[in-house]
Amino acid sequence: MATVASATPPVEVPRAESQWLAGLPRALTILVTAAAVLAPLSLIVYQSLLSAPFFDAVKTVGLDAYAFVFADPDFWSALVNSLLIAAGMTVIAVPLGAILAFVMERTDFPGKRWIEPVILVPSFVSPMVLSFGYVVAAGPVGFYSVWATEVFGAAPWGLYSLTGMAVIAGLTHVPNVYIYASSALKSLGSDVEEAARVAGASPFRVAVSVSLPLIAPALLFSAVLVFFLGIELFGLPLVLGDPEGHLVLSTYLYKLTNKLGTPSYHLMAAVAVCIVAMTIPLVLLQRRLLQNARKYATIKGKAGRIRDLPLGRWKWFAVAVIGAWLIAAVIVPISGIALRAFVTNWGFGVNLAEAFTLDNFRAVFDEPTHVRAIWNTVLIGTVGGAITVACYTAIGFATHRRNDGWSRVVDYLVLVPRAVPGLLIGLAFLWVFLFFPPLAPLRKTIFSMWIAYTVVWLAYGMRLISSSLLQVSTELEEAARTVGASRGRISREITLPLIRHGLLGSWLLVFMIFEREYSTGVYLLAPGTEVIGAQLVSLWQGGAIDVVAALSLINIVLVFIGLAFALRFGVKLRD
Amino acid sequence: MAELTVENLHLQYGDNPILKGVTMTLNRGEVVSLLGPSGSGKTTLLRAVAGLEVPHQGSIRIGDKVVFDGSRRIDVPAEARNLGLVFQSYALWPHKTVFDNVAYGLKLRNVGASDVTARVTTALEQLSLGHLAQRFPHQLSGGQQQRVALARALVYNPPVILLDEPLSNLDAKLREEARAWLRELIVRMQLSALCVTHDQGEALAMSDRILLLNGGRIEQQGTPQQMYSTPETLFTADFMGSNNRLPGRVAEVRDGAALLEGDGWRLWGTAKAGAASGKDGVGMIRLERIRIAEGEGDNRLAADLTTSMYLGDKWEHLFALGNERLRAYGDRPLAAGRHWLELPRHDFWVF
Repeated sequence: MATVASATPPVEVPRAESQWLAGLPRALTILVTAAAVLAPLSLIVYQSLLSAPFFDAVKTVGLDAYAFVFADPDFWSALVNSLLIAAGMTVIAVPLGAILAFVMERTDFPGKRWIEPVILVPSFVSPMVLSFGYVVAAGPVGFYSVWATEVFGAAPWGLYSLTGMAVIAGLTHVPNVYIYASSALKSLGSDVEEAARVAGASPFRVAVSVSLPLIAPALLFSAVLVFFLGIELFGLPLVLGDPEGHLVLSTYLYKLTNKLGTPSYHLMAAVAVCIVAMTIPLVLLQRRLLQNARKYATIKGKAGRIRDLPLGRWKWFAVAVIGAWLIAAVIVPISGIALRAFVTNWGFGVNLAEAFTLDNFRAVFDEPTHVRAIWNTVLIGTVGGAITVACYTAIGFATHRRNDGWSRVVDYLVLVPRAVPGLLIGLAFLWVFLFFPPLAPLRKTIFSMWIAYTVVWLAYGMRLISSSLLQVSTELEEAARTVGASRGRISREITLPLIRHGLLGSWLLVFMIFEREYSTGVYLLAPGTEVIGAQLVSLWQGGAIDVVAALSLINIVLVFIGLAFALRFGVKLRD
Repeated sequence: MAELTVENLHLQYGDNPILKGVTMTLNRGEVVSLLGPSGSGKTTLLRAVAGLEVPHQGSIRIGDKVVFDGSRRIDVPAEARNLGLVFQSYALWPHKTVFDNVAYGLKLRNVGASDVTARVTTALEQLSLGHLAQRFPHQLSGGQQQRVALARALVYNPPVILLDEPLSNLDAKLREEARAWLRELIVRMQLSALCVTHDQGEALAMSDRILLLNGGRIEQQGTPQQMYSTPETLFTADFMGSNNRLPGRVAEVRDGAALLEGDGWRLWGTAKAGAASGKDGVGMIRLERIRIAEGEGDNRLAADLTTSMYLGDKWEHLFALGNERLRAYGDRPLAAGRHWLELPRHDFWVF
């Protein structure tokens, strides 16, 4: 029998590309990432050390801007408000999120399957839209306040106080805790709980003495995360804090824009540096805690199918708690927006049926800037999202299976934008376009929005990409190496085809967050770059409530379309 | 002629040394097995040869081409070593058909399309996979996947083929058939193969030579018969085959024989390295070498039968000798009580 071995001589792999050329794409990727992340941030730091905006002819280097800000009592009250709200929402969100996670993961709560996506709604809808929803639903003349007044004589809630803001922020951030607590519970093997039950512990004892202590690291992590998100809060205090004049750090910075009558970039930069000085330690702390939580989860037992604990007579209590939360955090604001978009006006004595109108939508579609905003929002989510995922994938490949110094550099580069709120990154990119004249033509194009979005969501996107990459078994790539494939060809012909489903999922998730995004665009908003999120902030400032309601509803619909696709294709909404 | 030469190879992960100076050769047309307990470094050695692990000292040559040399800072990357590697998990690419899996190595070598088809078809047919070319890996059985992995590694005629536990993913019954089939294929195609295994039966059956690794060093190497019948060290003797151990005291060493004494017994055996008069020693004998005797005699001892186990083709009897336990095979059940066991001098090794 003729054999392959004897019939033909061995063939060797042609080695055309030199080592230098093979490393070029990686070097370029890292260089571009570094430029996109570091240029805007260094510009903020530089600007904060000047005595005037960087384009002024007369300016000196010094700490004048900081001195001005620190002498301003408004700054200190904004700082205190930020800390109070962040602490308040942490206290509310963490226990609720933990209870929710335990009930959803471990008990026979009715209707769990369809409730899960509903729970995540507050994290997909723009905070700007949610806050606006609260105003029209539960503000002094909101739908529910009016109805409550007609029934009880007065509405038993006040939205615009610090407490009101902390409660609403807390309720709408429950999903952030839920996500981490429930995935910790998922990875916590059922065997440790079954061991406790066999040893004689009741289901309740199991929860208190085994399950919850074992996910304590995940709860601690999510507490720090929620506190961090509290410091970054922008849309909610902008909308709800305005009527009573409560400022937080981000809204204080936003109001500074017009405080002195002239562009006060140096003051804004100084506040921005103060915010980042608070968030960077929080981000580093989160990173440590997350690593810790993962370590904890993986050593504790084997994950497997667990039998649901019967809730018994606690079922109705659980239904009441979760139902109340769903009403407060999802149904009230969303129904508020939906109603407000279809009425001419609202207040005491207005009849819903008589006030019905489609004029709000006509007003939106008659105004070219609004139409452009919708079109741009769709475009930045679909085409822009695809390009963004491509960029994230390139960065992912630059560090994939490489444990050298450059990979660590990229790790930290990715982490940095995480610490900078979108509002500040948008501002920094505005400055980049003004500071480097060759980039000026891009300023009035949607590209400026896209690059800022891409940098803001870098850390989030990289987590999606790397979790896809980690699912590719090392051996599949090693097998390609041993048959003679270079690194570049392995990436293109083995790894990339294997992660294509993960990339599709990432694209859908990036679409949703790009539809939702609002704060990043605030300073980049210009004729030609309109997006719904930033447009809403600007319209809200102008008091155009009808149009805001209609645009908000359109925004929600866009997000829900993405959500529907994600659910249809079985995309995991969380990691 | 040596197809593969490894000299004084050292490798460590962090501060943890895995290979501590391994030297070996693989000649053309030869099957060499790397055998050893887990953690002995056998897979690491195979991966270092493939270029998937980087040693920090020593050298590796394939034919006369140096692919790694620690002192001259030569490290040819895995993709340029032109070796064939069959992974324990087979690592077939799930998004490629059987044909494309096998063809990939040829495409990387810029082989023309018609030539690729011809060579892949030949390779698949040789491994009786011709009818499966258009299937995807998940549509194949474990045995078929293993053969695809082999075809993929063989199709571009590497000078050496590396096999990482090639049979461990098959179930027990299939494994024996696959072992015979693989041995036949290697001999027929005159392949030079380096094979990692932790199963001594597999190593004995498959190889021309066995390298037994222990803690990152080669404990002993030789033909399967040498490894099994004339182990040089206690570790080798213990690792190969099923054994009885009898600790005792060496009373006398004379003409290559040693007298081991224990509580109420004295046995002559073959003196191995380390056996010295007046020192503690360990006697070792394969289970199948102990003979159940009728009565007292030369090199025999008396022990009480504790229990017997029926194995189908024979019985395994368990005897107690003080605190020690001895196991021996027999072809019929034994009555309870005291029996005489003969440990032939030649088969009883004293270390």
